[in-house]
Amino acid sequence: MTDSTGNLTSAALVAGGTGEAMITLEGVEKWFGDFAALAGVDLVVGRQEVVVVIGPSGSGKSTLIRCINRLEKHDRGRIVVDDTEMSDDLRNIAEIRRETGMVFQSFNLFPHLTVLENITLAPRQVRRQSKLDADAVGMELLERVKIPEQAHKYPGQLSGGQQQRVAIARALAMQPKVMLFDEPTSALDPEMVAEVLDAMKELARTGMTMIVVTHEMGFAREVADRVVFMADGEIVEVGTPQHFFDTPQEERTKLFLAQIL
Amino acid sequence: MIPSTEAAIPEPTEDVRLSPPVHEVGPVEWARLNLFSSWFNTVLTVVFGILFSWLAYRAARFVVVTAEWEIVRRNLTNFMVGRFDRTQLWRPWVAAGVLALTGGVVAGAMGRVSAELAAQQDRTQPKVTLAGYIQRFWPLIIMVLFVLSMTRTIWPTILTALVLAVGLAGRRVGTALPPAARRLTWLYAVVGLIVAVQVLVAFGGVGWGGWGGVHINVFVTVVGIVLAFPLGMLLALGRRSSLPVVRWVSVAYIEFFRGVPLLALLLVAQFVVQFFLPPTIAAPSFLMRALIVIVLFESAYIAEIVRGGLQSIGRGQIEAAQALGMSPWATTRRIVLPQALRAVIPAMVGQFISLFQDTSLLYVLGFFELLAVGQNVTSQTDFVGQGLQAVTLPFVAFIFWAISYSMSRESRRLETRLGIGVR
Repeated sequence: MTDSTGNLTSAALVAGGTGEAMITLEGVEKWFGDFAALAGVDLVVGRQEVVVVIGPSGSGKSTLIRCINRLEKHDRGRIVVDDTEMSDDLRNIAEIRRETGMVFQSFNLFPHLTVLENITLAPRQVRRQSKLDADAVGMELLERVKIPEQAHKYPGQLSGGQQQRVAIARALAMQPKVMLFDEPTSALDPEMVAEVLDAMKELARTGMTMIVVTHEMGFAREVADRVVFMADGEIVEVGTPQHFFDTPQEERTKLFLAQIL
Repeated sequence: MIPSTEAAIPEPTEDVRLSPPVHEVGPVEWARLNLFSSWFNTVLTVVFGILFSWLAYRAARFVVVTAEWEIVRRNLTNFMVGRFDRTQLWRPWVAAGVLALTGGVVAGAMGRVSAELAAQQDRTQPKVTLAGYIQRFWPLIIMVLFVLSMTRTIWPTILTALVLAVGLAGRRVGTALPPAARRLTWLYAVVGLIVAVQVLVAFGGVGWGGWGGVHINVFVTVVGIVLAFPLGMLLALGRRSSLPVVRWVSVAYIEFFRGVPLLALLLVAQFVVQFFLPPTIAAPSFLMRALIVIVLFESAYIAEIVRGGLQSIGRGQIEAAQALGMSPWATTRRIVLPQALRAVIPAMVGQFISLFQDTSLLYVLGFFELLAVGQNVTSQTDFVGQGLQAVTLPFVAFIFWAISYSMSRESRRLETRLGIGVR
């Protein structure tokens, strides 16, 4: 995060949303062998804030959010989620994972369980909810993502867009405080992207804290409180969507936007 | 409201709608396409047609005309239960009834569960019909009918009918069970097995030493599966454990037992074990030793089959479970194992079938199992020196085949059922 103007660091470190920090990353590094996937990332995400992370492939976007719930172990730096600092303690990791929901590019639904079972498994296993309660919550969430009629089907019987909405409902069933989205629409057929983005917009309106890695610039412009641009494992530029898309400061950002827009 | 110009456009009629093309192939057409499509195919069809007709004719002639079934008729009880105490024969029948009842309850409960799931998904499930049962179990049905045709009194037929009736009654009970009780099917199966064994041995019954015939083959197979399967699963998990010691022990175990022939292990168990035990400790009975060896041996193979299944589960599945905060154990039990085991049903059942066949190795250790009966009865004074192995061995082979093939069919059925909705 070497920045000539000096504005970048402050923009990354001021929590949006309510102004209280929900996620704090300080000098986070992740190495795959000699390759620095994350070369010292500082970022503060506020409560109820929606942060969209964009950048070329291999820039470390996915690695960044995968470090937040310890799907990847970061090598240096601090990660604090809702006042819990990530350590190697298993209970600590479990605690953070309970508070963060994640939606994957390839859905990763459990193919041997019905849609409703996919959603209720973790609440029953981890939160020890009764089947009755978990089923009720599960159906409510399916209503919210608008596919209650699919509750007893298997994931393989659903379209990609429906599967991804189930995945969102599954993550929400754990009542997380943060939702992490790892390119949630990249594996979808074009006509199904909108239904998933709509579910995410609806979620943002309810005040969920969200970090979204995506290539959907329309979504970023419409929903994001802040847009983070990453390249080569670093945060290059941070700003509001207006600032970011209309008056980008950094050369790398301009180049990237020119390529994709 | 409607502009007048639109009135001229004709409404599409019903018959305009597309329908899938119809492919109907009559028997003559089918034969032309599949049997006589080229001169080479025609030659093959004729040659193999003649060959198979001749074989079928010889086989039918053997069964109906040539074969001297007297040796099987006289020894039918030997084939079924070996030297089992003839005054205690009610015990195997009652045990069969217990197993039929258990099987019925389990089948009923499982059928109800899958029927309800089908209803929730608006699928229609095929009704259970007599024709369906015949199609599903025909190898076993033929076997039972053939065996019953060899009996000299009407009693076995009546008792078989009774056992069947008990099974059907059990199925009704299973269907009527309340939802909570329906989930305990595995418990009923285990209890049923234990009770059936107790019926045979308890209160002046016949111990393992007195067992024989096809009964002992089936018993060793069932016990072997029930014990070796969980052990094999643990070994497979152990082989992939992150704890080095657990991993090493599992690998050493698996590679040792896979590297030694089963027959060699069985011989060691029978003839060597007592030399290693201190004289104060009595060696376990012969059948117990054989069982232990079979369980140890089979579990190593099962472990490798399960490991194959475990490796087929994508990283994404585990990550999804982790992201939901599930513990490693819950992830293994609820996400990884169910999918892994599903993926290896064919290989697993293949292993079970081979275990069933391998029970004939007990012959070499002096057990009076099915194959041994087939051999030994030809030395009876009335039958000796008449080459009657030609009759007894095909009979033995037929029983092995009927049971093995049924296992294989049931496994295919299980695959299709579990495959619903899984890509």
